[in-house]
Amino acid sequence: MNQISRRGLMGGALALSTVALAGGGVAAAADFNLAIVAFQMSSETHARAANAAAAAAKAKGWTTTILNSEGSLPKHSEQLETLIQAKPSAIVIAMGKPVEAEEQLKKARDAGIPVIMVMSGASPHILFDIEANEYKVGAEAALWLFGQMGFRGNILAARFDGNVGTRIRGRLLDAVLAENTGIKVLASHSMARTQSWRDDVRQGMQTLLLQHGAAVEGLWASFDGQAFVVDDILKAQGKKKGEIKFVSIDGGQETYRRIADPESTLQATVAIPFEAMGEKAVEALERIVVKKEPKTALTAGPYLFMDAALVDATNVEKFLK
Amino acid sequence: MKSLRPFLATYGTALAGLCVVLVFAVLSPVFLKPANLAIILRETAFLGILSLGFTLALTTAELDLSIADVASLAAVVTGALVHGGFGAPAAVAAGLTIGLVCGLANGAVVTRLAMPSLIATLGVAAIAKGLGFMITQGVAFVGRWPTSFTGLARGSLFGLSNLVWWLIAVGFAAWVLLGWTRTGAHLRATGEAEEAARLAGVRTGRMKRLGLAACGLAAGLTGVLLASSLSSAAPNMAGDHFLYAIAAVLLGMTMFEPGRPNVAGTIVAAFSLKALGNGLVLVGAAYYVQDIVLGGVIIASVALSAGALGRAAFVEKLSFRRP
Repeated sequence: MNQISRRGLMGGALALSTVALAGGGVAAAADFNLAIVAFQMSSETHARAANAAAAAAKAKGWTTTILNSEGSLPKHSEQLETLIQAKPSAIVIAMGKPVEAEEQLKKARDAGIPVIMVMSGASPHILFDIEANEYKVGAEAALWLFGQMGFRGNILAARFDGNVGTRIRGRLLDAVLAENTGIKVLASHSMARTQSWRDDVRQGMQTLLLQHGAAVEGLWASFDGQAFVVDDILKAQGKKKGEIKFVSIDGGQETYRRIADPESTLQATVAIPFEAMGEKAVEALERIVVKKEPKTALTAGPYLFMDAALVDATNVEKFLK
Repeated sequence: MKSLRPFLATYGTALAGLCVVLVFAVLSPVFLKPANLAIILRETAFLGILSLGFTLALTTAELDLSIADVASLAAVVTGALVHGGFGAPAAVAAGLTIGLVCGLANGAVVTRLAMPSLIATLGVAAIAKGLGFMITQGVAFVGRWPTSFTGLARGSLFGLSNLVWWLIAVGFAAWVLLGWTRTGAHLRATGEAEEAARLAGVRTGRMKRLGLAACGLAAGLTGVLLASSLSSAAPNMAGDHFLYAIAAVLLGMTMFEPGRPNVAGTIVAAFSLKALGNGLVLVGAAYYVQDIVLGGVIIASVALSAGALGRAAFVEKLSFRRP
């Protein structure tokens, strides 16, 4: 086969495969078309909220499309721009960036497309943002840890200031520390926002644990992903559950399994109901857009808060599936 | 049929891209609407400018793998200055200077230290990424920045987004440089037959430095425009464009001047990639389908031109051989 005919065949095949793959999305037309944008589907919490919203929407017979911005701000705004042209019935954005995407959110509002965000932050252009109160969550995690330590001792902190939620948790840790002077932070590791963040956490926390050794009595991690990495380091070092008091934040089946597992060193988390948040977004859209209830029937402010639950050895069985 | 062969060899991939556009035009009534085409053109600008820089570097048979990190660093420096209350001209100048300096650094390491560009530019990429995180501490600069700065990307002229005008300006400059100047001829000669060019009196080291510096400058401009468009600056904000920029240049090498990095091919390829992403969103394809299709397009584009690309000079670079 000469190069020209091969080129033609491959070009044709490419076009056909594009049609075939994309066609699946248009075949199932429904009256209510919900677009869901997750900022970074490779992050478990983003995927949990987005997938739960999609499942809830499908259960109502709605057509759904999930987009993944892959953690890229330019891609996030580009996808929103394109969606506005497609005019979906509504948009749910999981862990979006309302300030950076303000122009697109305004365009969506002007185009009459209702938007609900999940764990993203407030914007005047959306219905509301469904949030766990990060200030409450941060304080609860810090107080649980300090309480387990008898409000005295040394801790290490695994922080992440590149995300607004985890940054607030860190600031609350500082606030609780300011009132509990018996607790001393030996050292902190601030994680960089990179695709290899697990390596970054492993290297940083491994070094700090080696440096401070037996002086470490408590551990605070800004989110569960960091806690898993630290837990694996401690297990490799032969640490037993309870030797070092250890708290984190987010929740999820893997976290609950570790809290229940006597071999793991992780003891507690503050569980944020990401699935319930995704479902709540769909329920709210049904009430506001389909049943025409006023927004104020759900919340007056820019946020709709959902409760987070502290999960430790006393109640973890209730959360394990 | 025989007379059709040269036409297909030159425009076959562009025609395949046109087929994809027509497919989306049929599947989505919105796709060809002027407002949507304006969005595709605007989004093409970022990728197009970055890819044109890569095209100039590749013309001298050198790869620049630092483009995305340099663009991100330029965005961060520009954003930091705007956020700190500096005027738009100073911030833009700083962003462009960052890009140019990184490009010159790439050129100096490649030509003075005789290091393969694959390695040298990876090193500069790592430094740029580190500096971006150092400046921001991982926290993006975000704010309501003055329109004198945001207007660079968000404004419009004669009904066309400023971003598109930037792309036209960079594309025109690159086209004139490569096609109509002696320097352009020297850049091409350096990339296609370095030793022969050197023996003919072309200062090949200088040409490589020029290609890589131009690439850095284009990355700097992309970073400035990204910060202006998004009113924010984060240390990894251009990372998403890295593979697509390379794909756009490779795809561009399959059309107009097969086997050669060329300006028209790069711009058409960048537009095609953006049109494909846009069309897939409009027809409701799930996010993973988009990745699969885009990946397929990249593989197919390289496969289509395997013969031409195999003869291209930059392949030597990928095998770590120096002439």
